[in-house]
This record gives sequence, C-alpha cells and structure tokens, in this order.
Amino acid sequence: MKKALILLGCPEAPSQTPLAVYTTYKLKEIGYDVTVASTPSAMKLLEVSDPEGVYVTSKVDIESCLENLKENEYDLLFGFVHKDAAAAYFVTFYHILNTKSVALVFEKDIDLLEKFIKDVQESTDSEIVSARAYHNPTPLRVKIDRYIKSLED
Amino acid sequence: MSFCLEQHLQQSEDYKILIKNTGFKEAKKVIEKHSPNKVYVKAGEKILGARIIGIPPIPIGINDSESKVTLPYTKPCHGTAVVELPLEKDEIDKIKSSAIKD
Repeated sequence: MKKALILLGCPEAPSQTPLAVYTTYKLKEIGYDVTVASTPSAMKLLEVSDPEGVYVTSKVDIESCLENLKENEYDLLFGFVHKDAAAAYFVTFYHILNTKSVALVFEKDIDLLEKFIKDVQESTDSEIVSARAYHNPTPLRVKIDRYIKSLED
Repeated sequence: MSFCLEQHLQQSEDYKILIKNTGFKEAKKVIEKHSPNKVYVKAGEKILGARIIGIPPIPIGINDSESKVTLPYTKPCHGTAVVELPLEKDEIDKIKSSAIKD
C-alpha cells in the first residue's frame, strides 16, 4: 500500500482542519495509507473533529516526525502551506523525503499567497495547488479533488 | 556528550535572539549581515542535534574569534528566529563539515 504524509501548519487557518480530514478521506479512498504530521494543537483539533478516528487513523507530532524522517519513507508528501514557517517546513520535508510532493498553498492576502507559492517554486519541484482562501474551504476542496483525481489517472 | 540545541534553548540563558517571529528570508539576511563568516547547509541537515528548517541554502553564521554561531530556528506557529550562541570549537568544526561543498 502506498503511504502518504499530510503535513499541517499552524492551526490558526480555519480551513486547515476540515481540509486535513477531507484530504485524508480522499487519499484513503484511492488506496493510500495516510499519516498526518502536526503540532500538538493542530492534533487536538483533529481529535475533536474526528473523535473516533474514523478518517484520521495515524497521527504523529511534527517535530518527532521530522527528527526521524528518512528519504522515500512516504510515496506522497501533501503539505498545507499558509504561513512563512509552513513553507519552510514543507521545503525541508520535501528535501529529506525526496518523493512525489504537492503543496496546498492558501492565504487570504494575495501578496502573501504569491510569496508562499514563490518560496515553494524556487526551492522544490513540487506540484502546487493554490487558492485565495482562508475561512471557506470550497476553493481548495475543489482543487484537492482535481489533484487527487489526477493521482488516479 | 554532543551539544543539543533544543535542550540548550530550554535550559540555558546563554544565547541571544537577534530577531524573532520573522520570515525565513528576513532571518537569512540577518544571519548573512551579522556574521563575519558563513557556511550554507541543506534543508533538514542535522545541526547541533536538530534538523535545521528552512529554504536552502540555509546560512549558519560563524564567528571563530568569539566561538559563536548564528542560526535560524523555525517553529510552525512562531515563524523564524535567529539565535546566536556560544559553542566549543569541535562543535563549530562539525557544523563546518556539514557545509554544502561548492
């Protein structure tokens, strides 16, 4: 079974948690074994959102995940990038894993959105799925669906 | 025993924060401006017992005469800080040996 790592950033972006649950569900549907790496606070939000662990069955602390990460340990890196630090983490995970990767870049401020896209583009060959979004998950959900469909093809 | 950055920052006050809650590129500029010598390392390289986070090439400032290094320190919710701390010469040499070769 293929393995995917979903990398979450700071949980202050409201659409991150529902989209993390949704992306886990969609990747599992196409046969991925999914692990979500996050900060402790982002993990608590996931646990409240999915109390019986129906969708998110494997969670790991972002720091211990990073510490022990090995090249090609996952077949897909799916990173949420909505802050400068999230871009730095994504790029770091990308370079350690050296695997198929996609950055889900979102921000309400168009200048910041473009900056985060540029940060990822300049230092990785990752695919980028982006939208001007913050509270409303729909623009990103549509693009996630499109990206995951492309994985099936 | 090897130096551990996380432990040092938690248990000691023997370090200086040059900037905090900033973006990685701004932190990079601070390190490059502040330090007489620099080495550059890959993203995820283990430096002082911790993986270094950022957009490569990542600068680490070296001040041999004062036996100090300056490096970026990133956390998901707090952005990037630049930390300067004293180090033994052998730990500085380990950092130099991790540098990206030209």
